[in-house]
Amino acid sequence: MAKIKIIYNTVPSFKDYLGIIIVLALSFSVNASIEDVQGGTALSLSLWLGLAFGAVLQRSRFCFYCVSRDFIELKDAKGLLGIITALIVGTIGYHLIFGAFLLEPVAPRLPPNAHIAPVSWVLILGSLSFGFGMAIAGSCISAQLYRLGEGLLSAIFAFLGIIIGFVLAFLSWNYLYLSSIQQAPLIWFPHYFGYQGSIIVQILLLTMLALVLVKLHKQQKEKKIIQQWWNVKWHTYVGGILVALIAIIAFLRVSPLGVTAEIGSIARTSAGYFNILPVRLEGLDTLRGCITIIKETFWSNNGLFIFGVVLGSFALATFSGDFKIQIPKIKESIRSFVGGILMGFGSMLALGCTVGTLLSGIMAASLSGWIFLLFCGIGLYLGWLFRNKYKLT
Amino acid sequence: MKLIKKAVLLWALLVTAPAIAAPNNFLVSTDWLEKNLNDPKLRIIEVSVDTGVYERGHIQNAVNFKWHSDLVDPVQRDIASKEKFETLLRQAGINNDSTIVIYGDNNNWFAAWGAWVFDVYGVQNVKLLDGGRKKWEAEKRPLTPLATKVNPGTIKIADANNAIRAKLAEVVVIANKKSDIALVDIRSNDEFTGKIFAPAGFQETAIRAGHIPGAVNVPWSQAVAEDGTFKSADELRKIYAAAGIDGTKPIVTYCRIGERSSHTWFALSKILGYDVKNYDGSWTEYGNSVGNPVINTAGTVWGGK
Repeated sequence: MAKIKIIYNTVPSFKDYLGIIIVLALSFSVNASIEDVQGGTALSLSLWLGLAFGAVLQRSRFCFYCVSRDFIELKDAKGLLGIITALIVGTIGYHLIFGAFLLEPVAPRLPPNAHIAPVSWVLILGSLSFGFGMAIAGSCISAQLYRLGEGLLSAIFAFLGIIIGFVLAFLSWNYLYLSSIQQAPLIWFPHYFGYQGSIIVQILLLTMLALVLVKLHKQQKEKKIIQQWWNVKWHTYVGGILVALIAIIAFLRVSPLGVTAEIGSIARTSAGYFNILPVRLEGLDTLRGCITIIKETFWSNNGLFIFGVVLGSFALATFSGDFKIQIPKIKESIRSFVGGILMGFGSMLALGCTVGTLLSGIMAASLSGWIFLLFCGIGLYLGWLFRNKYKLT
Repeated sequence: MKLIKKAVLLWALLVTAPAIAAPNNFLVSTDWLEKNLNDPKLRIIEVSVDTGVYERGHIQNAVNFKWHSDLVDPVQRDIASKEKFETLLRQAGINNDSTIVIYGDNNNWFAAWGAWVFDVYGVQNVKLLDGGRKKWEAEKRPLTPLATKVNPGTIKIADANNAIRAKLAEVVVIANKKSDIALVDIRSNDEFTGKIFAPAGFQETAIRAGHIPGAVNVPWSQAVAEDGTFKSADELRKIYAAAGIDGTKPIVTYCRIGERSSHTWFALSKILGYDVKNYDGSWTEYGNSVGNPVINTAGTVWGGK
């Protein structure tokens, strides 16, 4: 951590804007090609929300593994508190929208598309696998996307792994669905406590968690750095508030945030060519979350969203001087690849990752989001231990 | 002087005529609906297939009916029971003197199916929004994400009227040429001839392909103009007459599951005034039934998978 002296009375030089200019030009041209198709508004919104999401993740270092590691290794809780900020603001926004979509939370009615997933041991298995995998790979799926925009090429190996992990999960799906998921309950807090009660329960839980973190937090030694204003990282709570706002807008206008639906669809469609998947994935289309489909159109909402995340991150990484092409060593490539497999497997079974199941699930007051938070956290810690023991770093 | 009086009277009549009087008995235009949105007797119902469409933006005051749960019996294959449907209508604030406008996505397919269910239970003053969601959106008319709060209504509905609903037994009689009823298959030509078992994106839904003997093929989309509205009565009359459907004989319409055929049912019975039944069992029932004649000109053989 650093005590930063910020210089304000300067402006970046022209070359610093190049990334932003390229990204905007590309985005506007993609936008022009999708605007007039059926569902063009949702496609276009997905692209711009993705750009914003990528930019915010990049500037505030909203990386679930990195901020967890800061806490485990340095007792620095600032990053985790940023995630809790996102969950608190998101909870309020989501509930305001719930009240508009569904006047009263009477079971079995659920708000449309909200990521309320079945709670079963398969969710626990998926969460553990995801947490372990993100520790091995060094960042979760959304962070791989934004770090790809920063020039981290090992992310490519992670994505190859993720696709393979998805295929492995598809192969196990029918068995797991029929033996557990099909009978598993959907637990949505407003059904039990009403909207107001649900907001109170969520904020209480999140505040308690925040207090524990604050209590354990250790002030870091500060060294002095002088930075230009455009080089300075944003506070994680600023990132948290902005992530929540993007999540709220996305839920209102398109669908809850998630970054794995498209990757899963690519995995499913490509595996389909080799005829290695079951013809039918039982019950998948009846569930809520980051659901994969067989691709029929080139652009999808989620595809444009993750495309936007990489571009948005690239634009601000180049602007702020964070962009640096990093060619991975063999060890790092293998680590990313193996971690990717575990993440892909976990996020398919959990119907989402740290974004789709943790953020969008907890904001939606779904028990599945909380279960994911708990077991992904445990998996992450085990992964971190494993990584240290075998000196994988 | 008398002439002036007459003119004034006529003018007064025209101007003060109740706003609710829609131009067509069974269709209302987007323009009419937008002007009459706040009429206290008007109830608007959205029946869309895609989830989240209603919630993220619907016509002001519209209430959402879910096709897969509200309008059907979710366990047994059937339309909603009288009790269930009456409760649903009351919750939507519908009274016996309400005017009901139904609209939905996908060219009003499911909205038309909804209109058919309303008709089975004898609900009066039911109209479709011509062009549905597609036209309303294309004309950039306003939508809201706020759910509609309504006071419960008091409607009493009649027992199910099977005069507009065909059952399998009746269709089998037609297929065996023992009755003088015209059959209209509104699916695509590839489904009609038997080249394919089900449209793209669906697993096979019947283990035989083809059509019911005696049916003529007029795909549903032929009844629709470019902007999603129904074609004019004259055009419709010509299109169906060309296939031998001229209203001189009673008609039965069918498709795969009975929803697109409701669209054609609506055109033939409400716009042209023909005597029409919708066969909601459709090909998923007939094509799976045992021992009944099928015509499959494409010669496809079911592969057992």
